[in-house]
This record gives sequence, structure tokens and C-alpha cells, in this order.
Amino acid sequence: MAVLLSLVSLIHLVAGAAAPAPPASEPPAILVSRQLLAREGLALGDAVALSSSPSGAGARRFRIAGAYEPVPDPARLGAVPLEVRLHLPDLLALTADPADLLSTDSVQAINVALVSPDESGPFRRDLAARLPGLVVRDTAAGDDSNVTFVVLDRFHLAIAVVTVVASSIFLLALMVMLVDERRETVAVLRLIGLRRRRIFVQVMAEGLAIAAAGAVFGVLLAALLEGAFNRFFQWRYDTALVFVRVTPAIAAQAVATAVPLGLAASVAASWGLLRQGALALSRR
Amino acid sequence: MNARVWGFAWRSLARQPNRAVLGLLGIAAVGALLFDMLLLSRGLVVSFRELLDSAGFDVRVLASDSPVVTGPRIGGASTAVAALAALPEVDEVVPVRFGAARAAAPDGERLEVFLTGAPALTRRRPWVLLEGGDLDAPGPGARPLVINRNLARRLGLAPGKAVTLEGDCTREPRPAPPVRFEVAGIAAFPFDDPAALTAATTPALFERACGFEKEDAADILLVASREGGGSMAAVSAIRARRPDLHAFSNDEIVARFQQVGFSYFRQISAVLSSITLFFGFLLITVLLTVSVNQRFAEIAALRALGFTRRRVVLDVFAQAVLLVGLGGLLSLPLGWALSRWLERILHAMPEIPEGMHFFVFEGRALAVHGLLLALTAVLAAVYPMRLVARLPIAATLRSEVVS
Repeated sequence: MAVLLSLVSLIHLVAGAAAPAPPASEPPAILVSRQLLAREGLALGDAVALSSSPSGAGARRFRIAGAYEPVPDPARLGAVPLEVRLHLPDLLALTADPADLLSTDSVQAINVALVSPDESGPFRRDLAARLPGLVVRDTAAGDDSNVTFVVLDRFHLAIAVVTVVASSIFLLALMVMLVDERRETVAVLRLIGLRRRRIFVQVMAEGLAIAAAGAVFGVLLAALLEGAFNRFFQWRYDTALVFVRVTPAIAAQAVATAVPLGLAASVAASWGLLRQGALALSRR
Repeated sequence: MNARVWGFAWRSLARQPNRAVLGLLGIAAVGALLFDMLLLSRGLVVSFRELLDSAGFDVRVLASDSPVVTGPRIGGASTAVAALAALPEVDEVVPVRFGAARAAAPDGERLEVFLTGAPALTRRRPWVLLEGGDLDAPGPGARPLVINRNLARRLGLAPGKAVTLEGDCTREPRPAPPVRFEVAGIAAFPFDDPAALTAATTPALFERACGFEKEDAADILLVASREGGGSMAAVSAIRARRPDLHAFSNDEIVARFQQVGFSYFRQISAVLSSITLFFGFLLITVLLTVSVNQRFAEIAALRALGFTRRRVVLDVFAQAVLLVGLGGLLSLPLGWALSRWLERILHAMPEIPEGMHFFVFEGRALAVHGLLLALTAVLAAVYPMRLVARLPIAATLRSEVVS
């Protein structure tokens, strides 16, 4: 079982002038987020002073050993992650409260990786029984940020439903116009002996072909725009988050919605036409 | 464009009622979505501004420029309050502490309560009293508590009843002694989410409940600027007097919120508005173009009978305006109903204050909606108008006779 201790704290980057004189030994190494590195014009190997106080009191010097891309967090979209990562003893020393002896030996959370992840339930129960007062939570369990994205998912679904309704009306209008244009052709077909059923099958086949072609085109267009959308939003929010992903399941869902709708629109539009007699159709 | 043009365009549409009705419905659906996206683009900002202004404070002072919950506290709060209150630009300063407490529900469940500490003797409060008295109402020695309706309902409390809270302000297993409070009144807290259980008491009782020693600290200072001076004057004065503190006017907070908080909704509303407008443009263009194509012979005959080119072009334009105008009008009630549905969906997000709304009506949204639809009508009519304007009369009539 691997155990990782972590302590998250608000620390302040102190201006170079406020930094104490460098000690004889090399300052401890830290990692700096890409965004902080760019904003403050820092470079790898630079020495910086960090303090846990807004006034810069008690600042300590550190050396930038590397830059990292923060894990994209959708819940913090729009907030520029100005972060540093310190070794835990360095962070505890930096944030220690002299009046509180426990502060050098306290962490907010302990991340635990189990050898057998399936045993997280019994492990949680066992640990909670052994250490009352400790909150033990499964990282796979839902929290507020999950709820946010469930709600966003519902919102997007609602927007998709409205879009599908509007598209269906558009499609129906198009099919009505298409059928109107075919009025004379249908009349001729009926007059030369084709049965209603035969023409109905043809209308259905046309509707199916148009709907399938439209759906495939839509999926291809979405796949093409996927990169553009992602690049725009990644640039806009300075994040590595992926905003749009056209998966095979989503493509299949889009096709499965569009094709029956197209068929239904073509049948609904041609229904009135097919019910009329050949002579009524040929009358102008 | 006179009445005859409109009448002729109306009759042209009425001749093909199915097509016209479908066109209207399509525009109404697209217009409704567009209307909603315009409401969404500024809804959060407008309602956030209303929430900030609701308690009467127009400046917030923090120890850093980090959000209140993650930033450091203001040390030496009483000195800071005295210094700021002495400024001629400032009318009132209220220091506020935020923490948490636990209370036992009648069914035995341990409820998490958001606890606020604010002075009893101020003219303005960070809450709105609904029922009973405020923190300054009970006699000396009492431990007054103001609670929100959710907490009152959950614990079966009313003014005059007692409740015991166990402070849980440090998120560390540090025991805080339970404190028995007396409910003075029921209040509405502007930033409460629909499920929030909130209580407020005096700073001294807050510290006692949280198990703090005399800290003389505050999480935020709420400042009301003096009438006529304006919030920016107060902010400048505060920054000059206490450069170690971070003062923000409500305007600045809203501007910051616009950049960071929920800007996703502004982006998505911009993207969806563009798509819906393009969709509407496509719908009207196709409807009018097909309609014009089918009426080539009729239009050529009208031209031969003496209708001017301008007259037939105006007919197409009037049809576009009628379709978009009527569809646009229909889209407003439809869009409003749709926005209520979408609002209910989005309001299920955690920690969204009850008074904050995603879709907020503004006259400006209505004007932009009308303007965008009008632009769509004009652009959509361009191609079919061009077809009609360039229609060769003799060739079209001949082709019609031959066919």
C-alpha cells in the first residue's frame, strides 16, 4: 500500500528584494505551475522566496526545479492555477504556527492507494472504526463537483432536445416543399400504374437516404469542428481540458436520432399527397 | 413599403399554409433558443450584482485578493474597522466571520450549519430579517442567534426557542464546547443556496462556538460608502489608508466574476446564439428560395402585367419579414417558458445561491433579440430577392408555356 501525505496551503510569492540572504547550502527544490512560471517571468533554476504570510514575513528561499501542467479541473474553469509544489517537510516548515505544536505534524488529507482497489469499502469501514473522527472517503465516490457536471449534462441534453425539435420542424418544412415539387411526378407515376405502396416505399427510401446522408455529414462536421472548439476553449481558459469529444457512442446516438426523424418527416410530408387520387394530383 | 405590399406578401404565404406554419414554428423554436441564450449570457452577472447590492454594502475588504473561503483572515480587525470607519468616504463598516457548526436534528442526524459572526449594533446587516428580532433584540446575557428558514424548518425552531451548536470552524479534530443559543429571529441570507442551513450570531459568541481564543480577526469587512461619494471613492480611500488590505467595489467584483465565475455559460451562449442564428438564416433562405423557384412563372407573369422589379423584390422581402417577425413574436413566450425549465435544471447545481438566476430578463436582451432576428430576415432574403430581380421575363414565360 502506498501512502502519500499532502498539505494544501495558501502561500505567497515574495518579491526578490524581500528574500532573505541565500544560505550556504542549495535551497530546496520546488515545482512551479506553467501558468505561474509564465506570469511571473520565472525560469528553471531561479531562486524564489515563498512566505505563508501576505506581508512576506518568514519567507524562505526555494529553487525552481521544474514546471508542471496542473491537472485540469473543470470545477476551476477560468481560474488561472498559480501553484507551486513543495516537498511536504518544506511546506510544513513554511506554514508552521509557532503557537501550535501540532502544526508541524498535521496534514489536511492522506491519499491512500490500495493494493486491491476492490477492497476500498472494508478498508474505509476498518479505518473509520480504528480512528474515530477521521473522514474516510472513496475517491471514486461522487462529490459536489460531480453533481455540477451531472447538472451540466442535463442542461446540454435539454439544449439538444430543443435543437432537435427545431431541426425536425426545419426538416418537415423541407420535406413538404420537396413533396410539393414532386406532385406532378407522383401523379404521372400513379397514372402509369404504380401503386400507392410502391411510391410510399420510394418516398421512404429517399427520406432514409437523405436522413442518413445528413446524419453522416453532421457527424463528420462535428468531428471536424471538435479540434477547433477544443483549441478555442483551451486557449480561452488556458487549460488542457477537453471540451468536445465526438465518441463513437455519441455519433451512433446522433445517427440513431436523426435517421428515424428524417424518415418520420418524409412520411408525414408525403402522407397527404399519397392519399390523393391520381387525377386530383395531376390537376393544376 | 405600403399596405398593398404587405397584403400581397401575406396572401403569398397564406396560399401555402403548411409551409408558412412550419416556417413560423421553425423561426419560433430558433428564436426561443436565441432569446434564452441572450438571457443566459448576462443572467448570472445581473443576478450576482443584485445579490451583492441587496444588503446595502458596496465595498468588500479582504486580507488578500483570494476568495474569502480560501484566503487568509484579516488580523487586527477592530483596528482596521476603526481606521476605515473614520474615513469620510465610508458610512459604515461591518466585520464578518465565517465558520461552521453542527446541530442535532430531531431524527438524530448531525446537520452541518454555516455559521456567521457579525456585530449586533450596526445599521446594516449581511442578512434580511424576516421574522422575530435581530441579534440586538434579547436582553443582556442572552445568546442570540438568527437562523434561516431551512434551519428553522429542519430543527423545528421559532423565535424564542433554544438550540445547541457545536462549532466546527477549523476542520480539525479540535473540540469546541457546545453552546446553547436562543433563536432571536428568522432571516434570509442573500448568498444561501436552496439547501443551506445558516445561522448568525455576534462575533464574541461566534468565537466561543468555534472554540477560538480572542482572535480579533475577520474574514471580510463589508463597507457601505457614504451617500453621494460613490463606491470607487471609498475604495480609493481604503487603499490609501490601509494598503495592506484588498478593497473591491461591487463593480470590480462583478467584473472579476464575469472573467472567472461561470464564464462558461457566456461562452456557450455565444456559440449557441451563433448556431441558432445561422440555423434561422438557413431556414428562411431555403423556404423563400424554394418558394420563389416554384413561383417563377407567376412572378414573370406579374412582371409582364406591369409589376415593377422593385415591387416583386419587395414582396419577397416582406415575406421574409412577416415570417421572422411573427416567428420572433411567438418565440418570446416560448423562450420564456423554456428558460424557466432550463433554470430549474441549472439551479440544481450545488452552492448556487437561491437568489441567483441563470436566465434574467433585461430590456437589452429583448432589443438584441429583435435586432439579430431582423438582421437574419434581411440576410436570408438577399439571395431569393436577387433571383427575383434577375428573372428573365420572356424566357421564363416561354419555358412555362413549353413545359
